[in-house]
Amino acid sequence: MGENDEALYAIADTCRQAAAGNLEARVPYLGESKAETEVRSAVNDLLDRTDAFVREAGAASAAGAAGHFYRRFLAGGMGGAYRRAAEEISRSGDAMSHNAEQIASAAESRIAFADQLESAVLALSEKIAAAAGEMGRSANGLAGFARSAVGDAERGLETVTELRRSSGQIRHAVDLINRVAMQTQLLSLNASIEAARAGAAGRGFSVVANEVKTLANETGESSGEIIDQVDAVQLASEDAVRVLKAVTDRIREMSGLIDGIAAAVDGDTVHETTGLSELAEVLRVEVQRFLTAARA
Amino acid sequence: MKTTQVRPTGQERKFSDGELIVTKTDTRGILTYANDVFLRISALDEEEAIGQPHNLIRHPDMPRAVFKLLWDTLKERREIFAYVVNLAADGAHYWVFAHVTPSFDDSGRVVGYHSNRRVPSRSAIAAADELYGVLRAAERRHDRAQEAVAAGYATLQRVLEERGRTYDELVWDLSTNGRTR
Repeated sequence: MGENDEALYAIADTCRQAAAGNLEARVPYLGESKAETEVRSAVNDLLDRTDAFVREAGAASAAGAAGHFYRRFLAGGMGGAYRRAAEEISRSGDAMSHNAEQIASAAESRIAFADQLESAVLALSEKIAAAAGEMGRSANGLAGFARSAVGDAERGLETVTELRRSSGQIRHAVDLINRVAMQTQLLSLNASIEAARAGAAGRGFSVVANEVKTLANETGESSGEIIDQVDAVQLASEDAVRVLKAVTDRIREMSGLIDGIAAAVDGDTVHETTGLSELAEVLRVEVQRFLTAARA
Repeated sequence: MKTTQVRPTGQERKFSDGELIVTKTDTRGILTYANDVFLRISALDEEEAIGQPHNLIRHPDMPRAVFKLLWDTLKERREIFAYVVNLAADGAHYWVFAHVTPSFDDSGRVVGYHSNRRVPSRSAIAAADELYGVLRAAERRHDRAQEAVAAGYATLQRVLEERGRTYDELVWDLSTNGRTR
């Protein structure tokens, strides 16, 4: 056995190097005998296959980690435990590839969802902004209209109040006329009595006294009619004042409601509330920010 | 040592699915190791192979552009796969699915190259043969080696572009369509 020592040591050296992880090591030429050739071939075949497996395992895993799933584990030339491990690595590669596909498709649908949401929110916020603008303009128009209506009603109230006051003055004047007419009636009666007492000389005067009485009677009747008319006017103007006051109050209430709408639409600096148009813009910006994050 | 040019006989040699052809070279491409399968299939003795450049078994049908790609990739310290037809010393040829990788020492330095070769599927051989015919035709229009390589390489890039695949993807398309999985 002694003459083979050199060859055996050479084999041992190669095996130790391989065991230490140097898969470059191979058994050198040992001699030309059949046994020497056979041993060298067998050990080197073992090392070649181990080397191939290690290279494949490293490279296939690295390719999988890099997302190059087309690079498979080459099981060719591998038998038994080598082949089973190779198939195991291939399966994990398939699983990684499948997961990567799922992640990719999830990302795709997330992007698609983001696109949909974005266009929906954009359209919505544009519509809200447009509607809010329209509402704001209408509310401002209505508020202006209400102000001028209150002004008109107040002027009407003044006019009617003025009318009431002048009709009171008219009544006063007519009362005076009425009293003068009654006084005149008494005077004409006394004049008629004095004319009768004067006899024939007073006949002409009696005619005048009668005429005066008739005039006074007519004046009294007319005054009564005027007073009735003035009373009717006063009643009517009182009604008008009540109605105008009620209308003015209603318009003032309406004006308050309209201010509320305008504040909801345009915002309110006093209570620091945000208007509808501004809210629509905030919504758009917030959704945009969310989508930027979702797409990343 | 063989110095005479081997003439291809057109006879195809095969090896079995369970076999691996293994060679190692130094960083210059000089053979430092060849396994039994390599020697048997290439009809070489160990002393005829070791110390020779790896292109000892180069077949004239192989486009130069494929070897350029192979060496360019290895220089980038990356692995490369290629379908290769080799020429045995007796004129027979054999197709392999080659996996060539740089070998590193513990400090990460490239100390040589390693090639494992497996049996390719017939469909992959047919597809590679067809592609190489196209590249060969482009290369043969040029007398100067450098221009030939450039023409073949440009043709390869155009083919890849037309198919929308990288070289690696194309190689794996061929392998997964066939037996190797």
